[in-house]
Amino acid sequence: MPEEVLKVVNLRKKFGENEVIKGVNFSVNRGETKVVIGPSGAGKSTMLRCINRLVEPDDGKVYFNGIDITSKDVDIRKIRSKIGFVFQHFNLFKHLTALDNVKLGLKVVKKMNDKDATERALEALRAVKLEDQAHKYPAQLSGGQQQRVAIARALAMDPEIILFDEPTSALDPQLVGEVLDVMKNLAKKHVTMLVVTHEIGFALSVADEVLFFYNGVIWEKGSPKEIIYNPKKKETKDFLGRIFELYSRGEEE
Amino acid sequence: MEVSLGAALGMLLAGAKITLILSFLSIFLGFVLGLLVAVAETYGGKIVRAVAMGYENIIRGIPLLAIYFILFFSIPIMLGIGMSPFLAAIVGLGIRSSAYQSQIFRSGIQAVDKGQIESAQALGMSNGQIIWHIVLPQALRFSLPGWMNEYTIVLKDTSIALAIGIIELTARANQLVAVTVEPFLYYGMAGLIYLIMVLTVSYLSGYVSKKYQIKGVGGMIRA
Repeated sequence: MPEEVLKVVNLRKKFGENEVIKGVNFSVNRGETKVVIGPSGAGKSTMLRCINRLVEPDDGKVYFNGIDITSKDVDIRKIRSKIGFVFQHFNLFKHLTALDNVKLGLKVVKKMNDKDATERALEALRAVKLEDQAHKYPAQLSGGQQQRVAIARALAMDPEIILFDEPTSALDPQLVGEVLDVMKNLAKKHVTMLVVTHEIGFALSVADEVLFFYNGVIWEKGSPKEIIYNPKKKETKDFLGRIFELYSRGEEE
Repeated sequence: MEVSLGAALGMLLAGAKITLILSFLSIFLGFVLGLLVAVAETYGGKIVRAVAMGYENIIRGIPLLAIYFILFFSIPIMLGIGMSPFLAAIVGLGIRSSAYQSQIFRSGIQAVDKGQIESAQALGMSNGQIIWHIVLPQALRFSLPGWMNEYTIVLKDTSIALAIGIIELTARANQLVAVTVEPFLYYGMAGLIYLIMVLTVSYLSGYVSKKYQIKGVGGMIRA
């Protein structure tokens, strides 16, 4: 029996007159990797932020382990500590070493003592193969390494799901691979993930389902092969056509 | 009247000691108040923000000498509570500096990138935790050069406290000039002592900035 970690029901968000999310519905089961694709600037990031209420949704429900976390009675900070979030621009704390970046949430939010937090943080850094860089500051690391630290920071909190917001879009092409490898590893270990990305290859290799986000809704969804090689709707075809064209042009992007 | 150079220097240095003590206590008071005002201006609700901004604008609009006279002469008459000249000197200079320090800290706070605040929220941190662990450690580093500059201003403006009877460096020079009628020599010496103090602070500023620079971030401590 699949267990629903996350269920989004009829989610809506308006910025002024501009409704960017117009009733989104989907769910993520424990151990699944779901990939969201779709045009840039269409509201995919906003949708992710509505899930842990970094952006307050206008309408709709988000269920986390069956609990409606859009309710005002919910302690959203407690929920956030169980939902990992990996950002496009890494957003590491620049004044802290890689190790301290990972430790901070453990100490401040989870109230772990220093020794346990260090142990747990090193374990998470080992999972992203950066144990040897633990004492470097973000500005001393490459983009790919910074993003892996950010993944370790999310992972260390022992989240029930990790949300990824275009985790490789800000990286140089040669650094994308190392981040995707880490994420593929997590997928194989059945870490529950919801990934917004343009990396079609990643979707094909590990996604359990691909959601095409278009015009403020989930326009089409299905298995990676269905959506990527054999989409039913015209808009999905057009979007994928543009993505393939981009990639066949080589490393320009 | 003759005063030996050694005795004069001793007097001036005694005054310089008062100048330094006054400047330390004032900059510290200004730091505490200024940081509170800066945090209130950036994170406060509408009313808190308006009060903080109002405080900053009003204090910046009043000359230090007037602040001293209000504290030392007007308030005791109005409220019937007096304070010692030294306390008035610290409070006056401290609140005046707080209005400038708050500007320095506010721009430091605003320079901390919003993405880090978002990622701290996503970890489940509270606003207070975010301010304490993420914003202030970086904002204070960004503020350091401006803050050290503010300290040199406070250091020199301690001289205005002579108007309410504090015998600091300039007042000592006044006394020497009064008995010797050698203004060039003694104001010159006092000026030189101020200059040495200010240059020392400027030198320390560079050293401290470098020491607390965020690793891997080049140049001045900017992100």
